[in-house]
Amino acid sequence: MEGFVAWLIITLIKILVILAVVLGVGAYLTLLERKVAAHIQRRPGPMVVGWHGLLQPLADGLKLLTKEDLFPRYGNKFLYNLALVMALVPATLVFAVIPFGPEFELFGIKIKPMLTDVNIGILLVFALGSMAVFSIALAGWASNSKYALIGSMRKAGIIVSYEVVITFAVMGPIILAGTLSTYDIVQKQIDQKLWYIWLQPIAFVVYMFAMLAETGRVPFDVQEAEAELVTGFTVEYGGMKFGLFPLVEWYIEVLSLSAIAVVLFLGGWSPINIPFLGFLDPLFFLGPLSPFVWFILKVSLLFLFVLWLHWTLPRYRIDQIAETAWKVMLPLTFVNLVFTAIIAPLIWR
Amino acid sequence: MPWAKGEEFLDLKERFKGLEIEEKATITILRIDKSQLIDLLKALKEEKGFKLFIDHSVVDFPDKKPRFEAFYILYKVDEKKRIVVKTWTDGELPSIEKLWFAGKWAERECYDMFGIRYEGHENLVRAFMWETYQHYPLRKDFPLEGYATEYLPSLNEVLWGDNLQGLMNYDRMHTYVPTLEDLEITEKKRLKKKAQIVLNWGPLHPGTHGTMWFLFDLEGERVYQCDVILGQLHRGVEKLAENEMYNQFLVYTDRMDYLSALCSNQAWVVAVERLLGIEDLVPEKAKYIRTMMSELQRINSHLLWLGTYALDLGALTIFLYTFKEREKLMDIIEGITGARLTISYTRIGGVRMDLPEGALEVIRAFIKRFPKELEEWERILSRNRIWLRRNIGVGVISKEDVYFYGLTGPVARGSGVPYDLRKFEPYDAYGWVEFDIPVGENGDVYDRYLVRLEEMRQSLRIIEQCLNALEKMKKAPFFAESPDPKKLKLSLDGIGLKVPEGEIYSSGENPRGELGFYIYSKGGIKPYRVKIRPGSMYNLCIYPKLMKDRVIADAVTVLASLDPVVGEIDR
Repeated sequence: MEGFVAWLIITLIKILVILAVVLGVGAYLTLLERKVAAHIQRRPGPMVVGWHGLLQPLADGLKLLTKEDLFPRYGNKFLYNLALVMALVPATLVFAVIPFGPEFELFGIKIKPMLTDVNIGILLVFALGSMAVFSIALAGWASNSKYALIGSMRKAGIIVSYEVVITFAVMGPIILAGTLSTYDIVQKQIDQKLWYIWLQPIAFVVYMFAMLAETGRVPFDVQEAEAELVTGFTVEYGGMKFGLFPLVEWYIEVLSLSAIAVVLFLGGWSPINIPFLGFLDPLFFLGPLSPFVWFILKVSLLFLFVLWLHWTLPRYRIDQIAETAWKVMLPLTFVNLVFTAIIAPLIWR
Repeated sequence: MPWAKGEEFLDLKERFKGLEIEEKATITILRIDKSQLIDLLKALKEEKGFKLFIDHSVVDFPDKKPRFEAFYILYKVDEKKRIVVKTWTDGELPSIEKLWFAGKWAERECYDMFGIRYEGHENLVRAFMWETYQHYPLRKDFPLEGYATEYLPSLNEVLWGDNLQGLMNYDRMHTYVPTLEDLEITEKKRLKKKAQIVLNWGPLHPGTHGTMWFLFDLEGERVYQCDVILGQLHRGVEKLAENEMYNQFLVYTDRMDYLSALCSNQAWVVAVERLLGIEDLVPEKAKYIRTMMSELQRINSHLLWLGTYALDLGALTIFLYTFKEREKLMDIIEGITGARLTISYTRIGGVRMDLPEGALEVIRAFIKRFPKELEEWERILSRNRIWLRRNIGVGVISKEDVYFYGLTGPVARGSGVPYDLRKFEPYDAYGWVEFDIPVGENGDVYDRYLVRLEEMRQSLRIIEQCLNALEKMKKAPFFAESPDPKKLKLSLDGIGLKVPEGEIYSSGENPRGELGFYIYSKGGIKPYRVKIRPGSMYNLCIYPKLMKDRVIADAVTVLASLDPVVGEIDR
């Protein structure tokens, strides 16, 4: 009984921490993105609200929350609101299986810094990821607008194409690790003294592309395409309902998929890896905090990479995106899979 | 001279009875009866090589019988010659849509503005006004004061009591406004739905670069057919021109192609000077200043095009880079002329004022810095694989299409037709400076992009030569002096300027194509009829053809590469 109560309390605390961190960080990533974009474009960005615009996300949120709630005539109100829930919930749920660091002991209780270490973690991530297509299709359909419909159909097409690609891409690391649990994958990389990116560079690149496509970042942001479709499937949403979609798509999803990339390819919380020899930790002075810092550092670097692409490149056309997925990326992942299957026994030893 | 000689057409005289050849200093005209018009135009196009369609419209003479004089302007690119064909009609004309597609749009405009009926026209709908509009605005009997029976909702509101006097009293200014039903009828008449959904693109849409209203009939994302509804920005500039003095009309040229006001100013002023025959009187310095300012404006305009084009394709950052440079140019122009957008700097006989102190140094600093910026943008875009895939092979225009659709400017040059009026018919200082005309090979969107980039570099060359020339004539006059003030009154405000009887077609090379002015003067201080040849409008008329069977994402690419400005299309 006591064990159960302790577990319950710990889990509740974990949920609170994860939710607060994810949503809070998600909001502040908007500021980061605006600052990065501004400096790429040779301008200062938000400077007025708070020191260097530090309070800008709060001001934005306040503005969006106090806006009038508009609803398109002839739309379907139930589906319209359901789309929002379908967008937010699966995207946040992904964080349940992301390991932020190694197991540690506090007051005699062993705690894994992740909500739950299910043994099909990676499968869960991609199952939840494909739920995004429902939210977008519903949003497009329920808005009763042609722009929204076209935007959502585009996005649905892309997600369907890239779901296949991304699944085959992550197959490589899974074979090397021999497990689907996210925590164990990282542990295996530490045990084998090998980040899987060294053996899976193709899979990593394909994964990054698929991640851009799934989250609708440039050069794959055709569902937004403000020049032709205004803002695509969000065109009939207003106020915070409008704000939620980019928050989920551009920040929370990018964050969760970057974290998964770190787990699969970059050795999770482990420091810099020298293949097959060991790890080099320049942050050793942080003591037990060092793994957490490493994890956050890697995720931020991937996120900044996405931002850098977003504010530099033009966008592809929808048919070119689908073509790239089926004709280039999928065959590449097949080749990678065969290659992995051959070398995997050497790694398992 | 840009005009064809009369003797070239003597052999046609045997075949066409009643063909009259009229040769003047400012124009060469072939007069023909309406019944033989199509045959003559066909002969000119196919035998004589006058392939490029420039313009068509009519002039209204309410007292005469037949009432309307129609004119067709054609161009022979190989030999740099222009010709005008004229005919009289009482309201009916044969359609030339089989010879030139651009003629179809010109005919729609004539139908809209004069009520001319065209036999054989496939879809004779109004060009700018809505379908249920009853009147023909450019006819001379159109009541300028409005209709007393009509109720105008917005302007008739009485806010502070009905004590406004004279022109400010809107109560007497009655006119028609379209209702929603009218717009629906207009929309239905344009496009018969054949595929899945009709997507309304505009009138207010970020991708249309202005208030254009596109209708796409979509099969999935593929465009099955497409049409444009124009006229959201129609202000009746041609009607205004008939009721203003020559110098007063200058301010309306600013507001047509509002992104290249200086070039439009120059084209108008040069047209009037040619009609007056005082082109040689204008001092050298004024000519150099005008040329230099026009080229600055050309860079300015191309920068806006580049920024919005990249923005349409998703490259947001280039937009801010180009606008930063554009801001510098705007500041330079503001410092010299006092205005940023609607400039009205040129005057008939020169320019409004001398260059301020330090202007030349500022411009020199700008053109020294600018090529580096241009190179930087090219590094981001020109070899970018995504950029190439979005641009190459999209919106291909062949050489024949250029003639058939009456395309001019960078759009024509992108397809390999070296039609540039700065070289073909040099006005102002263009004859004295050295520059090249960039042309494309494939005629796709990418070629047009490269042509425009290269044009900016050529503009820099021209500006540098103008600077060198201007530095040597600091004290020279900038406004022409009339040899005989009693006969010809030239002043900065232009009041009292009388233009002799005559007619002229004169055009300038705008950043968006040929901006031509056909001026018909009956003598006096006002023109009798001014027909403006908008480069943007004829460039746009190929758009429905280019969009057929392409996906909707290409709509922005192709539209931005044609680079229309609605102010000039609608006038």
